[in-house]
Amino acid sequence: MGLEYVRISPGFEKYMPKDYVDLVQYGQFGREVDVQQLGQFKELVEEHPMCAGCFMAYFIRVFYAALPKPEDTIVIGTAGCARLALSQAAVPFIYGNYGDTNAVASGLKRALSIRFPDKDKDVVVIAGDGGLIDIGFGMTMHSWFRREKFTTIMVDNEVYGNTGGQESGMSPKGVQLKMAPKGKQFDKINAVELAKTAGCVYVAKLAPTNPKRIAKTVRRAILAARHFGPTFIHAYTSCNIEYSIPTEKVLEDARKREKQDFGFYEWMTEEVKEFFEELERKPEEVKA
Amino acid sequence: MYYVADVKEADCAKYNCKQCVLFCPEPNTLMYHDSKHVAWVNYSRCKGCAICVYVCSDLLKRNCIQMVMVTTGD
Repeated sequence: MGLEYVRISPGFEKYMPKDYVDLVQYGQFGREVDVQQLGQFKELVEEHPMCAGCFMAYFIRVFYAALPKPEDTIVIGTAGCARLALSQAAVPFIYGNYGDTNAVASGLKRALSIRFPDKDKDVVVIAGDGGLIDIGFGMTMHSWFRREKFTTIMVDNEVYGNTGGQESGMSPKGVQLKMAPKGKQFDKINAVELAKTAGCVYVAKLAPTNPKRIAKTVRRAILAARHFGPTFIHAYTSCNIEYSIPTEKVLEDARKREKQDFGFYEWMTEEVKEFFEELERKPEEVKA
Repeated sequence: MYYVADVKEADCAKYNCKQCVLFCPEPNTLMYHDSKHVAWVNYSRCKGCAICVYVCSDLLKRNCIQMVMVTTGD
């Protein structure tokens, strides 16, 4: 972890895999990239086995491009689709047991702040609706109650996609799934309000229809977690297999859901708001 | 044989746009050529979801990407 571990020792370039050499020469390590430059630099995440047209894979691609300091970041995931892509990236990845992501992240963040007191080390949890709000609910909530300083991102596909389409707490009411033939009887859990009540300092909800906005939200969530407390992003990442969305219509579906119930929403505490106002004002002052 | 996206270079070069690149779910697959100002596809990584075709044809009405069949080694 850290820039010195990423760089190749002089003389060893020709022995390293080409993808790794490209990553060090044309990648994100040690420099900040704009998400609009996607396709013009070597991305952190590599080929992965997620389904064609998966918008969770798309969200993860933009997430990695948005990391403020990839060489000082650890990503934690759990069982679920997201881990298939998360584990293929050049950022340390920890695969927790189902549901314990936020407990692992709590310990890890505390250990890192003891080991590296003068450095910013970011811990980010990315897990699905099952991992965070169903099975990992207790550990997720308690990490927020304890005001642990890391980011939690829920990639919500509204179903257990890996195991055949069981309903989750985040499936919308009435939806009929392969393993929920009578239709879901209960409402979708309001995760955003739960996060606000439980003590998160920055909460956002979005559908991945605008890469620039995803990147800004991810950056804000990570920076706020460094200094203030827990942060949470609820992202809609459709499951085109279980919800039978033709792959070419996945973006159209995200745009439709954005209009219905996933409109962009951002909430933060007053001190976080002041912090971002200060942070985003600085470059202009330097120019002037 | 498999199904991949293919960019019509002459058409794409007319626009200084890279919206398809920004919406591809696969990393390092749909790339952008800095000097030629065109998108290009790394065929061996493309999974053929056609989201780029939706972006280019349905949203932007530019019709610069089509889906084609290729055989291994193309």
